[in-house]
Amino acid sequence: MNAITLIAIIALAALIHASFQLGVSMLTLLSGHALGTKARHRKVMNLMSSFTLGAMVMTALLLSTVAYLAFAFYGTFPSPLAWAIACGIMGGIGVAVWIFYYRSSTGTALWIPRPLAHMLHYRIKSTEYAAEAFSLGLTGVLAEIVFIIAPLLAAGFSLVQLPHYLQPVGMIMYVLIATTPLLVITTLIGGGHRISRIQKWRENNKRFMQVAAGSALFVLGFFIYVNAVLAPMWLQGAL
Amino acid sequence: MIDVVKRGGKRPTESYERAKLEQSIRSALRSVKTPDGQTEDTAHAVCDIVDQWLASRHEITSEDLRRKASEALHPLHPEAAFIYKNYKIIM
Repeated sequence: MNAITLIAIIALAALIHASFQLGVSMLTLLSGHALGTKARHRKVMNLMSSFTLGAMVMTALLLSTVAYLAFAFYGTFPSPLAWAIACGIMGGIGVAVWIFYYRSSTGTALWIPRPLAHMLHYRIKSTEYAAEAFSLGLTGVLAEIVFIIAPLLAAGFSLVQLPHYLQPVGMIMYVLIATTPLLVITTLIGGGHRISRIQKWRENNKRFMQVAAGSALFVLGFFIYVNAVLAPMWLQGAL
Repeated sequence: MIDVVKRGGKRPTESYERAKLEQSIRSALRSVKTPDGQTEDTAHAVCDIVDQWLASRHEITSEDLRRKASEALHPLHPEAAFIYKNYKIIM
């Protein structure tokens, strides 16, 4: 695969990552609580920015880890078998997103177990300092690892195949695209938008987001399967 | 005294406190950037309606209380009512 194809895979994987909503839910609750306690605008923005920064750092760390492991096991060219496994994971997670990413109840309640949701609620409610918001941002990304592992695998495997000078570009691009929803919400709240309007938009469009994320995982998995698994076999005359 | 059964009995039952309800309504109103004066007036008005509803009851669930308060809040401030009602199902 050439550099443009690899960059395109990283961009699509990051878009899929961005469509997962746990971080957005946590940020919405965090801003709601901060505003509800009459915190100054500056403090609200400080908490939200710290949360977003935490999510960016953890996303970068996870992507680096996946890329490092891919490099350690396969060098700069992950084997077709590794790609095939990644594609299988993408397909499986795509189905899981379709079936149970959102709960069937009203609102934007997610798949996460209720005790974990209550614990996160409690932590968000207790957050007063930027350092706590930062660690919540880290936690939010980690808590969704079950779903984001699929786009991370696609991006990590692609990253190691890029020329060295393009690897930081790919990494920064992934992190920025994956955290775009958080950056947008922080900007909207900072600009005076009400969280009720943001939350209503999320509720009205949750099924679309769910179908789009699941379908995009299938599309990405299929594209990679053809390019990284079938094409090399065909070139070797194995097909 | 009115007992509030929390989360379907999964947490210990508490007695109803108007101040606690008022505080949660205030938080919902502030989270949608309602001016201070309107916040106080609306929170009082909602709690008055809920108090009237509670007059004939000895035991309620926390879900009932939230539903009734959001119903009372809706005509006064729909956006705050939306946040108040959906607070538990945002995540």
